[in-house]
Amino acid sequence: MRRTLTRIAFLAIVAASISPMPLFVPFYGRAALEPLFTRYEPPAWREYLPFLDGVREHTRGGETVAVLVPAPRWDPGYAYAYYRASYVLAGREVLPLMEPDGRVVPENLLRADLVAVWHAPPPRTHRTLVWSGHGGALLRR
Amino acid sequence: MAAALIAVLSVTVLGVPFVLALDRDAPPLRLLGLAYLYGTGAIYFALLALSVLHVRWSLVSVTIAALILALPFVRRPGGQARVPVLHVVDLFALLTPIAFAIYATMVALWEWDFWAIWGLKARVFLERGGVDWRFLESRWNVFAHPDYPLLVPFAYDFAALVNGGWSDRWLGVLFVGWAVAFLLVARELAGREVRPLAAALAGVVMSSVAISTFVGLAEGALIAYLGAGVLFVRRALLFDDDAAWRHGAILLGLAACTKNEGLAMIICVAIAILIIDARRVVRLWPAAAIALPWLVLRALHRLPTDLASGSLAAHVAAHASQAGAMFRLLAKNTYPPWLWVAMLAGLLVLPAAARARERFVLIAVFLQLLVYVAVYFATPHDVLWHIRTSWTRLTMQVAPPLAFAVMIELARHAEARSEQQ
Repeated sequence: MRRTLTRIAFLAIVAASISPMPLFVPFYGRAALEPLFTRYEPPAWREYLPFLDGVREHTRGGETVAVLVPAPRWDPGYAYAYYRASYVLAGREVLPLMEPDGRVVPENLLRADLVAVWHAPPPRTHRTLVWSGHGGALLRR
Repeated sequence: MAAALIAVLSVTVLGVPFVLALDRDAPPLRLLGLAYLYGTGAIYFALLALSVLHVRWSLVSVTIAALILALPFVRRPGGQARVPVLHVVDLFALLTPIAFAIYATMVALWEWDFWAIWGLKARVFLERGGVDWRFLESRWNVFAHPDYPLLVPFAYDFAALVNGGWSDRWLGVLFVGWAVAFLLVARELAGREVRPLAAALAGVVMSSVAISTFVGLAEGALIAYLGAGVLFVRRALLFDDDAAWRHGAILLGLAACTKNEGLAMIICVAIAILIIDARRVVRLWPAAAIALPWLVLRALHRLPTDLASGSLAAHVAAHASQAGAMFRLLAKNTYPPWLWVAMLAGLLVLPAAARARERFVLIAVFLQLLVYVAVYFATPHDVLWHIRTSWTRLTMQVAPPLAFAVMIELARHAEARSEQQ
C-alpha cells in the first residue's frame, strides 16, 4: 500500500509540474500572444514609444530631459510615462514632473535642458522646438 | 540573435576553467550546467572590477578582465568524469526548455520590471561604460531599486557589448541558458541517487519548475543559482562531498549577486546547517565572500532599500490587522499551486526517516518562506499589492529544490521497497 502511495505521490509531482505556459506556446502564433506581450502598454499610449525613440534620436547623452504627459496621477499614468522614458532615454538624465504621491515637481522643469511634451501644452520655460512627431514635441529652454 | 547566442557560448566557455578548478572530475552534464552559471558569475565580477577601477567597459576590456580572472583557474580535466546514464524519458525534459526558448525570444523583452529595473540599469550602465553611481544614488531613480545586485544587468551588458550596442530583442536567450543550466545540474545530481528512469522524471520536473515566465526579471537566474546551490549543499551534507561544498557555497554566493532573496537564502542555509551540523557551517564562507563586494559598494554609496523606509514597528502594526487577508492571498498566489500540493502530499507519504534525511532542504526552504512572509509584514507598501505582485515569483524560487528533495526520497523509497520484494 505504502509503495503504491509513494509511486502515486511521485507521479503526482511530475503531473503537477507540467505547466501549459510556456509548454504550449509553440502551438500559438505571435498574434495570439500579443495581449500578453503588450499588457503593460496602455492602448491610448501606442504612439508614446515611437515618440520617445524620436526624443532619443534628437538628444545627446548627459542632457537632462523632463517628461510632460497628460497623466493626472502617478499610478496609473505618470509612472508608466516616466519609467518608459527612463529606459528609452538611458544615458540622459530623465526627470519626473510628479512625485509618486502625486505632488507636482516644478523645480525639475527648471532644471531640465529639454522637455519631452506628449499630448500636453508646452511649458513657458522651454520654447525652442528641437523636434516634433508622434503626438509630441521636444523643446529646449 | 547571433550576438546573444555568442554571448551565451562565450560565458559557457569562460566558466569551464572555474568548474574544473573546483571539481576536476565534473561529469559532462554538471560541467556544462555549471560552466554557464560560473561564466555569468565571472562576467559579473569582471564588469564590477572594471567599474571599481574606472576602466571603461568595452568588449576588449571585458574580455581581458574575464581572462585575467579565469587564467589562474585553468586546469586539465581529471579524466575520471562519471558518464551519466540517460533514459529515453530524458527527451521529455527538453520539451519545456524548447518551448520556453520560443516564448522568451518571440519579441523584445516586455516585462514592466525589465524596463523599470533590470534592463534599465543595464542600458544606463552601457551608455556610461560602467556602473553609473550617480544614477543609482539619484532620488528620482529609487523606483529602479538601486540596492538590487547587478549580476543580471551585467549579463545584459555583456550581451550588448558582444552585439556592439544595446538591443533587448534577443536577451531572452540568456534565460534559456539559466533554465537549461539548472536542469543539467539537477539531472546529474538526481542520477547519482536514483535509477535512470526516476532521475529522468526528476529532470522533467526540474525542466519545468526551473523556468520563470517572467522573462527579463532576475527570477530565472535566481532560480538556477539558488536551486543549484541548495542542491549541492544538500549533497555535501548527505555524502560529505567536498566538490559539492565548493559548488554549493559559490552558487549561493552568486544567488546573492542576483537578487536580495539570494542573500536571505545564504542566511537560511547557514541556519539550517547550524541546526544539522554546526561545525560545517564555515564551509559556506565562499558564499559570504562572493556576496560581500556588492554589499560593501552598496553601503559605501548609500543606495536606498525601499523596504527599510519608514518605521518598521508602524508597518508591522498596520499589516498585522490584515493578517487574515494576507494569508488568504498568499495561499491563492502560491505557484505552481498543484505542485506545492503534490510536494506536501509527497512529504506526508514519506516515512519519517526519509523526511529526516531531507531536513536540510526542508529547513532552508521553510526559513526562506518565513523570511518572505516577515518582509511582507515589514513592507512600507500596500501589503496586498506587494503580495499580489511578488508571491508567485517567490514561491517559484524555492519550489525546485523542494520538489527535487521530495522526488528523490519518494523514488528511493519506492526502489527500496521493490528491492525488498
